[in-house]
Amino acid sequence: MAEKSKNAFHFTYTTSNKLFSYLILGIGAFLALIPFIWMVSTSLKSLGEALGTAFFPSELHWENYAEAWRKALFSEYFLNSLLITSITLVGEITFSVLAAYAFARIKFPGRDLIFTIMLSTIMIPAMVFIIPNFLTVTWLGRIGPIPWINNWPALTIPFMGSIFSIFLLKQFFSQIPDELFDAAQMDGAGHLRFLWKVVLPLSKAPLMVILVLSFIGTWNSLAWPMLVTNTPDWRPISVGLMNFVNEAGQEINLTMAGAFITIIPILIIYFFTQKQFTESISRSGLKG
Amino acid sequence: MENQNLLQRFFSASKRKKIKEYLTAYLFIAPATILIFVFGIFPVGFALFVSLHKWRIKRTALIGLENYVDAIGNLAYVAVFLLGVGALVGIYFLIKKIIELTKQHGDRPWISIVPGFLNAVTAFSFLNWFFKLLPEVLDIADKLRGLEKTREVFLTLLRQAFSAETVVPAWRVFLWTLLAGILVGGIVLFLWKNKRNLLYQSYFALVFLALGIAVGLLLYLKKQVSLAYAEAFANNADPGIWPQFITITSGVILLILAWWLWRRASKPRSGWAFWAHVVSALFLLVGGWLLIGEIPTIVASGDKDLWSGLKVTVFFALGTVPVQLTLALFLAILLFQKMRGSNVFRIIYFIPYVTPAIASAAIFKQMFSNRHSAPVNMLLQTLGLEPQQWLFEPQGVNTIIGQFFGWNLPEWAGGPSLALCVVILHSIWTYVGYDIVIYMAGLGNITKELIDAAQSDGANKWQIFRYITFPLLSPTTYFLSLVSIIGTFKAFNTIWIFRDALALGTTDAFSVTIFIEFFEKLRYGYASAMAFVLFAIILGLTFINNKIQGSKVFYG
Repeated sequence: MAEKSKNAFHFTYTTSNKLFSYLILGIGAFLALIPFIWMVSTSLKSLGEALGTAFFPSELHWENYAEAWRKALFSEYFLNSLLITSITLVGEITFSVLAAYAFARIKFPGRDLIFTIMLSTIMIPAMVFIIPNFLTVTWLGRIGPIPWINNWPALTIPFMGSIFSIFLLKQFFSQIPDELFDAAQMDGAGHLRFLWKVVLPLSKAPLMVILVLSFIGTWNSLAWPMLVTNTPDWRPISVGLMNFVNEAGQEINLTMAGAFITIIPILIIYFFTQKQFTESISRSGLKG
Repeated sequence: MENQNLLQRFFSASKRKKIKEYLTAYLFIAPATILIFVFGIFPVGFALFVSLHKWRIKRTALIGLENYVDAIGNLAYVAVFLLGVGALVGIYFLIKKIIELTKQHGDRPWISIVPGFLNAVTAFSFLNWFFKLLPEVLDIADKLRGLEKTREVFLTLLRQAFSAETVVPAWRVFLWTLLAGILVGGIVLFLWKNKRNLLYQSYFALVFLALGIAVGLLLYLKKQVSLAYAEAFANNADPGIWPQFITITSGVILLILAWWLWRRASKPRSGWAFWAHVVSALFLLVGGWLLIGEIPTIVASGDKDLWSGLKVTVFFALGTVPVQLTLALFLAILLFQKMRGSNVFRIIYFIPYVTPAIASAAIFKQMFSNRHSAPVNMLLQTLGLEPQQWLFEPQGVNTIIGQFFGWNLPEWAGGPSLALCVVILHSIWTYVGYDIVIYMAGLGNITKELIDAAQSDGANKWQIFRYITFPLLSPTTYFLSLVSIIGTFKAFNTIWIFRDALALGTTDAFSVTIFIEFFEKLRYGYASAMAFVLFAIILGLTFINNKIQGSKVFYG
């Protein structure tokens, strides 16, 4: 009873109480997982069985995955998504780190004003941006040396300036003690060097969060890629899966295999980073 | 070397270092700032520009408010009117602030009015020039068609755009006002040496900006309304705009008064608190009744799709947010106990949130398929119920339940369509895990001493929850409800996967309606106007939420 726990709640638990908690939590976990269980089970059925009533397959059809992979052009879409994500991330992280560093550690005229103006855009719904940005991107492609539509610039460049990442990094950078910077300055290091040698090695956690969130973001985006791609050349996996679901229609064993293929990379990343992930989300609470 | 000496003469070493520091900072923020400006700030103005045009793939004609009137009926006029009035109210507060400042410091800043005025004019003439230039620059892409895309050609066309007939006078006005503003501002700085001089100048500039906006909007409105009346009279109809103005404005004023009175009365030691509460409740009732009675009828005279999109979104929000938050709070409290395996549960609950929504929607689409052998229909059949159409069912969920019991419900009581219910279920399934994580963070902030004290006073678990945990969690609940409600207005991806022609658009929430106008019907101007309506709703919701819930939230 008097045992000290870290939690605020240290009610005394009788066995029945505990059992009740486990029962409720178990039901919740079951409901959270059942769609996935059904997906995996259906993806291993033959077509006839998939349309039938049995929950589990009588024999395992692993070849569904190969067929879905081939039919949905997943290898192409996977590569596209990976490319889009990596190009976006390289730009986003470079630009955000530089900007966040300046906002957090250098005093310059107009700093707060610029930051506030940029931060206020977080409120604006994406549907307001989508039309003008589509016009801008088309225009840029038509006047510039390379096309933007159906090409990587339209899919990556608009997302490289991310106020969310800047905000997250700025919060983190301003917590780094000034003494570190003073010491670095004594040694003759400028801002860039300090940023590279001291700040970045300290900020692995927020960088990881940005990496994961942007990865999920690109993996999830639908409206914008639908607008700016009309051939499979640069189409990302989200649009690919949607088209496959619409085209394959009744072959639900294949669509479920396709859905699973799309989920796997995210799941892997989530399991490896889940601790930082939940922590950062509960701390920032910004990603809705 | 020469340059360096010159620099050294004019600036001291510390000043030079400072300037170098500024330049570094600007260089650092430049890439991100430029990108955010081009794809995050400029588009707001551009969208406004598009929304004032008839624009189907190509810009055709400037039609002013027409898109908005098509979308939300006469409410567009009322909104412009309220904006204009809002600008006037803003002027009142600015002037109040200026007077406070002068009293505080004993300043006489009236000379700063002149540069303030000039700066406001400069801002307007800049906007005028910019939006005259924009279409010319946009046209470059068309002119380039068939030409070789070289830098010279582009630069020539760009020069042409800048020197177009309509652009040049606007440019001159902007240039002259800018120069005059800088000159006069400098002179005033020289004449009246005060460190708050620039501050006053910018306040006065804001006053004149607001004044310009208010006068411009109200004059434009007057013209448009009289045009609308003339047109309606020609057809022997009554547009009824003026009565709507009066009802809605008085409704809004009553609501503001109610809020103001309530807040005054809530202050300690006000003897008239009771009566103030009664009166403000009365105001709230009457004002709310006026608005609730009037706005739907006006909006209904606008676009039917927009109206149904709004209805779907409201159902969506009402269906998801309360259920989601209750479930999450319950599970979070269970998970927060010291027990084995709670970490595993937390990881499991969070999986739906990280799963790509498109994939999970594809799974739900098959589970809630209309096939009799689909899992959910199988479950219904084992329970002895009829299989349902689910995502293909436009009928309201209450109607369907009513039919089961043999009742015949009227159409307005139908509730969300069964198809929308699947979307709601999917949304709850997705976001409960996210809410749990946030709630657990909130629970972690509650100090143990409070609970201990309550326990030693003999409080039971329910009392602890009711009087300690729940009130202390109110900031979290507030944050989550705001984020979730705004989320339903933004929801797009999953609905796009779920939607089926057979559901007759009963799943199309607001964002989807906008996207269809844009992507399928190619009405860019109209879709932009709708997007601004969405923006206004989200702003309004945030504002109301801040005012009402913000005062009840307990930030212990």
